[in-house]
Amino acid sequence: MRPDELFRLLNFCKTIQTEGTDPFDLDVKKFLEMLKQYYKNNKNKNWKSLNDLLLDADTIAELAKIIELQSKWIKDRSSSFYMEPGLLDLKLKMMESEQLAAAFLKSWYPIIAMDQMTQERLKEGLAYWNALLPFSERSDRNDEFPSPSTAEVEGSLAIDDLIAMSIFSGREFNDVLRSVLEELKERASVSSNGSNNNNNSNNNSNNNSNRIKYHDFIYDGETFEKSVEKAYLTSHLVNEGKAEIVVEPLEEEVFISPISPGNATANYAQSEIETETETESRSIAISLSYDDWLRWRQKRNRGNRGNGKKNGQNGG
Amino acid sequence: MKKAAQLLFFRGHRIPGVKGWELKRALGDDYIKIIEVLNSTLDKLGMEVKQISEDEAGREGAGEEKAERDRFMILLKNPVIEKASAERIDNVAILSAALAYIISKHGKTSRKAVEDFLIEKFHKHRIYSSIDRYIRQGYLGEDDKGKVLYIGWRARAEVDRKTLLDLIIAS
Repeated sequence: MRPDELFRLLNFCKTIQTEGTDPFDLDVKKFLEMLKQYYKNNKNKNWKSLNDLLLDADTIAELAKIIELQSKWIKDRSSSFYMEPGLLDLKLKMMESEQLAAAFLKSWYPIIAMDQMTQERLKEGLAYWNALLPFSERSDRNDEFPSPSTAEVEGSLAIDDLIAMSIFSGREFNDVLRSVLEELKERASVSSNGSNNNNNSNNNSNNNSNRIKYHDFIYDGETFEKSVEKAYLTSHLVNEGKAEIVVEPLEEEVFISPISPGNATANYAQSEIETETETESRSIAISLSYDDWLRWRQKRNRGNRGNGKKNGQNGG
Repeated sequence: MKKAAQLLFFRGHRIPGVKGWELKRALGDDYIKIIEVLNSTLDKLGMEVKQISEDEAGREGAGEEKAERDRFMILLKNPVIEKASAERIDNVAILSAALAYIISKHGKTSRKAVEDFLIEKFHKHRIYSSIDRYIRQGYLGEDDKGKVLYIGWRARAEVDRKTLLDLIIAS
């Protein structure tokens, strides 16, 4: 069996899921037989390749979804909800708008929800009104629909209050971001130089760019809170295109690298090529946990002690 | 119980109803028992508190955790015959036809199929805007890619789907 036949069947599975067509149009048993055949034919050839394994996993996952749909289909047909779709379509097309609306109203048990203006809400509205600048002044500021600043609203907290409550920091957010970016550039450069020196003889993927393991960068704080704060700031760097996250599935590692303006241009050029090949940017969720942070620190401390001993021996 | 009634009757958010965790925060750990007592009082007035899951299938997990994630709301116990909404008749017809069509496709179908079906009788701009509005209101659900429509949590709560289909077939 050729792989393109598998791809065709995979697409068919996806069509059934999105279009809601009859899931029994797919002969699951036959599909599994074909998959078995494919496995047998390729076992001694290139079955070990990653693409083959991914295709196999994809196929099994899609088949499982189809079987789930088939089960749901049977349940629906056996339930009192089932009506011949063709007949229902015809009826719907024949009915007038008024008839449709009447049918809906007879089967409708609406939620009861009421709005009431409270004295507190009116006070909030009044405070908003007082803080709102007239149109003429707003247009001068080239800001058509501003929200009143927190300091302007009666009874609200000023920036100083927020700083005192540790909600805002006295430092400018951009300054903090800049310092994280500088640290990333420095550590990525050190890390890549180190891995180049260590891995000159082998083709390790660490040595192919200016990058550092994401968790090494994030967890290197005095407290777990600092690490979480750093992760938050780093996500801003990635969002703003100043850093890039790369997931290496084989190594099961996440790397982060700074993007300098020159590299950015190169990356944009690359991204255009990727766009043509339908690669799209995506969000990556990376988990951080206190236990993981503790493990990381223990590992790092062991590594430091090991290096200390080694250096001591070398020195002696 | 008074506090529970106020929370459930008066709208604090754009979407009607109150999440289980909000009730727990306001009423304490025994909020389910308080709701049961409120329910017996509302029963005399032809109303009931209903607990609805907002996920697509309408059933996930069980117990206390599920209740905290679910939405609680007060509904009429008997169908409304008289006008109980300011909604235009053609908008109600679009919702009615869309729901019936989706139910006939086992509760889930492509958005395009629904639009193509409705376009026979309604102007496309009205269809697009109505579908978007019904998604926002929770009557219809939409997948992340915006390609598949399913029955929304609010339609599951408010609409007796069996009656709707029976009425359409019997027309």
